[in-house]
Amino acid sequence: MNNERIDLPQGTLDLLILKTVALEPQHGWAISERIQQISSEVLRIQQGSLYPALHRLERRGWIKAKWGTSENNRRAKYYELTKSGRKQLEAEETAWRKLIAAVGQVLETA
Amino acid sequence: MLSDLLYRLRALSRRKSIEAELDEELRAHLERQVEKYIQSGLTREEALRRARLEFGGLEQVKEECRDARGVNFIQTLIQDVRYGLRMLAKNPAFTAVAVLTLALGIGANTAIFTLVNAVMLKSLPVANPQELYRVGNDDNCCVIGGFQGNWGIYSYSLYQQFRDHTPEFSQMAAFQGGLGDLSVRRGGASRPAEAYAGEFVSGNYFTMFGISASAGRLIAPADDRPGAPPVAVMSYRAWQQHFGFDPSVIGATFIINTMPFTVAGIAPPGFFGDTLRSDPPDFWLSLSTEPALNGQYSVLNHADMHWLYIIGRLKPGAQPASVQSELTAEVQHWQGAQPDLTAQNRSELGKQHIVLAPGGGGVARLQADSAMGLRLLMAISGLVLLIACANIANLMLARGAARRTETAIRTALGAPRRRLIRQMLTESILLAVLGGAAGLIVAWSGARAILQIAFRGASYVPISPNPSLPVLGFAFAVSLLTGIIFGVAPAWVASRCDPAEALRGAGRSTHDRSSLPRKSLVVLQVALSEVLLIGAGLLTQTLRNLENQKFGFETQGRIIARVDPALAAYKPEQLYALYQQLRQRLTQIPGVLSAAYSLYSPMQDENWATDIPIEGRPSDERDNASFDRVSPRYFETIGTRLLRGRVITEEDTSTSPQVAVINQTFARKYLPNQDPIGKHLGFLKPSEFEIVGVVEDAKYMDARGPAYPTFFLPFLQTAKDPKLSWLERSQYMGDIELRVAGRPENLNAEVRRTLADIDPNLTVLDMKSLSEQVAQNFNQERLLARLTELFGALALILACVGLYGVTAYSVARRTNEIGIRMALGADRKSVLALVLRGTLGLIVLGLAIGIPAALAGGRVLASLLYGVKAWDPLTLGLGAVALALCALVAAFIPARRGTKVDPIVALRYE
Repeated sequence: MNNERIDLPQGTLDLLILKTVALEPQHGWAISERIQQISSEVLRIQQGSLYPALHRLERRGWIKAKWGTSENNRRAKYYELTKSGRKQLEAEETAWRKLIAAVGQVLETA
Repeated sequence: MLSDLLYRLRALSRRKSIEAELDEELRAHLERQVEKYIQSGLTREEALRRARLEFGGLEQVKEECRDARGVNFIQTLIQDVRYGLRMLAKNPAFTAVAVLTLALGIGANTAIFTLVNAVMLKSLPVANPQELYRVGNDDNCCVIGGFQGNWGIYSYSLYQQFRDHTPEFSQMAAFQGGLGDLSVRRGGASRPAEAYAGEFVSGNYFTMFGISASAGRLIAPADDRPGAPPVAVMSYRAWQQHFGFDPSVIGATFIINTMPFTVAGIAPPGFFGDTLRSDPPDFWLSLSTEPALNGQYSVLNHADMHWLYIIGRLKPGAQPASVQSELTAEVQHWQGAQPDLTAQNRSELGKQHIVLAPGGGGVARLQADSAMGLRLLMAISGLVLLIACANIANLMLARGAARRTETAIRTALGAPRRRLIRQMLTESILLAVLGGAAGLIVAWSGARAILQIAFRGASYVPISPNPSLPVLGFAFAVSLLTGIIFGVAPAWVASRCDPAEALRGAGRSTHDRSSLPRKSLVVLQVALSEVLLIGAGLLTQTLRNLENQKFGFETQGRIIARVDPALAAYKPEQLYALYQQLRQRLTQIPGVLSAAYSLYSPMQDENWATDIPIEGRPSDERDNASFDRVSPRYFETIGTRLLRGRVITEEDTSTSPQVAVINQTFARKYLPNQDPIGKHLGFLKPSEFEIVGVVEDAKYMDARGPAYPTFFLPFLQTAKDPKLSWLERSQYMGDIELRVAGRPENLNAEVRRTLADIDPNLTVLDMKSLSEQVAQNFNQERLLARLTELFGALALILACVGLYGVTAYSVARRTNEIGIRMALGADRKSVLALVLRGTLGLIVLGLAIGIPAALAGGRVLASLLYGVKAWDPLTLGLGAVALALCALVAAFIPARRGTKVDPIVALRYE
């Protein structure tokens, strides 16, 4: 039913995670839900791959994790953006926009 | 970087709680997803199924998370090391062979390079050795007259000339070419004098080297003036070993050769003088004390007696090439100004020259003497390392192949290839580390053993057996690399193949991809071993030929004691009484069959050659001959046979007619086709000594060449011409020879006691059996022979281990095939032949490569061989046969085991 879904290009998952947690701290499941919702179910994330990415970002110091209680009183691990994570997000966003613009330009003119 | 490490370490220390957290986090995700699906109307099972499917393998995700956190690296390492150690412990034979191979490969190379490093590469332990230059590069020794052509040794007058007229040198010091024997007694002590090695040095010797005293002070230029109070500097080692760091030694009076000296101070530890040699000087004395110490035989003030080496420190910016031509001009100018220069000398003046040689390593006599042998040893140990690496490679390949099924199972269970290779890598490194540690022990004890063989007879060698770090690192790196390459390669190949196929037993086919490299390695091993075996054969024969040659004297049951009455200040006129007493007293010792004394004893490596006129030869011509002075019964005592006439007896005294005994070569060369008895020879006129006997040729100097033409004179007979005053020194005996019953060593104490009884000042400088004196001439040959023997045997064993492995492996892989063949009617013999045929091929191929290689190597060896040709067919044949036999046995054992397999079992074996 979801033939329209496309796989994420390599390396963009990090960007999406950083953007998602930039608004407010989120736990893993919520992050994956949110990415799918916002992208109108177009982007397909292998749910399992989300967690290694989260741990990697945490190790780099771009996000930090702490345990909290979720809406229905369950323990959950929340990830939030750090200062250096915010910088990284800005840098990656700029890079991404440049890439899109460049690729778009090539596609239109060539 | 640091925060990353801290993060990892924290993760490691909180491993348990992090695991639990990870588990909880992932589980929570799945629960939420399931809830979401249930809410959207799926059954619980369906929801669970979809959630899991979408999530992926839980364990794999966890592993990826651990990887992402970086915890894994250290954890995996610990895991791998543990597993690796378990695997090594499970295969003790494999581990032992691998570790031993590595240890010997690393150890042998390190030991030999330690020696090479100390002898060839190291500088003297002095300040800025790269600024030092030696005036001349020739190792002529010890007192020389006349022109040298390429100059290396100088008189004191010539040294002064250079020192004062070559401003490019900031310092220029002179020192004695050969060391002198000293008889030293502490002033006021009751102990008899002891023998030490001493060296005369110029006053600026220590300043030039830029070293300072470890206690007291060193000799200074002010000490090196005529009339200055005589001072000596003691070596740190002598201070430590003989005087136990006694501080009262400094400033104390020592009686050196009956002359009082004040010990001014102690040289720094590690300083062994200007030349790397065994038994370096214990005392340094200033040149100005030489005339008093050597009395009438002093050479200091003879401008034409060259006995000093010169090393100087060039000023920064000085050009060695221009200094060299300047020195050459100086020596020519100085020679030209000498009185009584002959016309011939004058014509050769232009050919006199000096080479300015780098002097940071000191006088390079040992380097020049041992360069060839050391190079050979390096080559041999390199071969051993190569063989060891081939062996390690082979072992690793075999193991990789044997663990194919294991690798397949692990791949099937989801182990990533990276992980498999890492596991193998860890094991290889573990093995190399173990081998390296064992190699360190081998290196240290090996270097000690090598030093002992190379410097047999020396009581001290200033070379440390501690392995040199760079070479240890190099050898270690090579074996590590070998282990890694050959440990990882099979793992890589195995992890690439389809696990299903490997598990199905495709690994048991007759075709085997990994066998080609293994076989090539075995062929290489066989070839290298053959080279080493043949080399060992040639060098061993050389040593045997040298040691067991016909010397012209008997080596067994003889004692040589070195003494010098000049050190005890005997005057020439006192010698007669001493000699009379000496022979009489020594003969009285029980066990002494006969006693004699001489200026030189056989194969003592000293020689006095001179040009003499001989009766019947053209009158303007002089013939070069060696000469020796010998006591009555000398020839009988050393076992040289008399061929014609008579030997020197008690009747030949200072007043009787002067006589000489010549050797065969002398007679053949200078008095051919005539009866030499009754002919005359002399030093000035061909009429001074009448030849009364001819003895057989005996070797005194060069063990490899023929005996020198030699004439023997009685002590105390000398021409009274004042021109011959230099000959007086030959009246002093140098050696006492004793023919004894039983082991010569048993009499040492008694001989010493008797000599001390005759005169306590008559210091025994050295005492050993004649066979030992001869043996010490072949230290280098012995070292080469022993080491190549050892390495040859080692290579043989390693090659056999390799062949055994290859055969055993091929038999194991062909169990199936052998079973089929036997079921179809093949008997054991034909199966055995089948297996052995393959191995025999390898051996023949190895020999086919090895023998030409050995022949090529033999050409390099040729100059070191004695009494055996480099292509000696017997050695070549024996080497090949020995290798082939050992190799066949190594292959036969596993081959026979293979044929014992029951065909039914073999076929079922899946």
